[in-house]
Amino acid sequence: MTPAPRTLELFYDVLSPYSWLGFEVLCRYKKLWNINLQLRPSLIAAIMKDSGNQPPALLPRKAQYLQNDIRLLGQQIQVPIQFPKDFFSVILEKGSLSAMRFLTAVNLEHPKMLEKVSRELWMRVWSRAAEKAGMSTEQAQGLLEKISTPKVKNELRDTTNAACKYGAFGLPVTVAHLDGQTHMLFGSDRMELLAHLLGEKWMGPVPPAINAKI
Amino acid sequence: MTPAPRTLELFYDVLSPYSWLGFEVLCRYKKLWNINLQLRPSLIAAIMKDSGNQPPALLPRKAQYLQNDIRLLGQQIQVPIQFPKDFFSVILEKGSLSAMRFLTAVNLEHPKMLEKVSRELWMRVWSRDEDISEPKSILAAAEKAGMSTEQAQGLLEKISTPKVKNELRDTTNAACKYGAFGLPVTVAHLDGQTHMLFGSDRMELLAHLLATTRPLRCQPMKRLWCWNHSAAPKSWVNHPPTAVL
Repeated sequence: MTPAPRTLELFYDVLSPYSWLGFEVLCRYKKLWNINLQLRPSLIAAIMKDSGNQPPALLPRKAQYLQNDIRLLGQQIQVPIQFPKDFFSVILEKGSLSAMRFLTAVNLEHPKMLEKVSRELWMRVWSRAAEKAGMSTEQAQGLLEKISTPKVKNELRDTTNAACKYGAFGLPVTVAHLDGQTHMLFGSDRMELLAHLLGEKWMGPVPPAINAKI
Repeated sequence: MTPAPRTLELFYDVLSPYSWLGFEVLCRYKKLWNINLQLRPSLIAAIMKDSGNQPPALLPRKAQYLQNDIRLLGQQIQVPIQFPKDFFSVILEKGSLSAMRFLTAVNLEHPKMLEKVSRELWMRVWSRDEDISEPKSILAAAEKAGMSTEQAQGLLEKISTPKVKNELRDTTNAACKYGAFGLPVTVAHLDGQTHMLFGSDRMELLAHLLATTRPLRCQPMKRLWCWNHSAAPKSWVNHPPTAVL
């Protein structure tokens, strides 16, 4: 008898490149592990503010480091991630409020589309190639009209607050519910530790089942 | 023909728990990978200052997070790491200046002892919640590592000499030049390129870089195979190869 799947919550923001990396790895493993992956669109800017933290890119040496780190991890993890030319403008000025409200609306009305639409948004911000996620123009239009409604605003706020309650000071945050214990793991680089906690097999960021499809 | 081993520099400070985790993993892999691991005792406080960074523990939510993270990683990586009771006092008040000067002296005079003495200092501060700032504490660590009291005393007397101070300063500056804003920092010298990796959680990426770059002495055909990395084994970390890279 298969035991009940364990619930993992992934709090993420498409503004966050490491969120994309963590997201792709968990999407690959949700087919391989006995887990129920719940995607939680959140607002990283609000988490930073609430925790008193700052985007790492504001420290010059970290900004320099991040560019290489993201590039190398993208190669290793096989995600086509690239720093946008005007990185500071993207992160600090433009932000992601509309995008994350949009994903919140998707999650409320068409949750099965959430993974694909999230990926599409990351592709736009964090990759040169943009593909279509397969949502009809009507659907997209309808959702765009809803992003400033109280329902959607509150849902995004509640989700973001939930991340803060778990102790988040940034994103991505993976919350694993195991055997009555809750573990909050920060970063895209805690997936091997997650496997250890789940008692599942870690096969690297590109597990074989994915290769078989290529 | 065995290619030349690739050089890895590990910049670390015994005050840094993540440095200990990275250190233990690399010490295990130095026997399994074709690498030359050079340990570089450094001062994390100076790196923080030079880069304008702050110890993460100064942010309350990070301090909270770190405690669990270190505990869980210690279990997974099998290192007996435990937070000292008065963590802030250890990190922010006592520091590690004498300890890192001592390790610098060890590295200058008895480099083969560096790994063991470093480990004993970590065991004191990050496993048994013992002091590492007083001379007798440092001596105890050195003796536990297998140094004679004479040897250890001799080195202790040298820690305030210009030679040792300058060496620690130079090593720390080298880390800063590589772009460090914290520790541990692993610098891999591969195929004419230098990669600086921050944290104890970039070892799988390091394995990937080692597997997908080859020393220039490789034959062209082998090099083609190497770059087709989907054919290369993926799980270096969990199933390290016994053959040489």
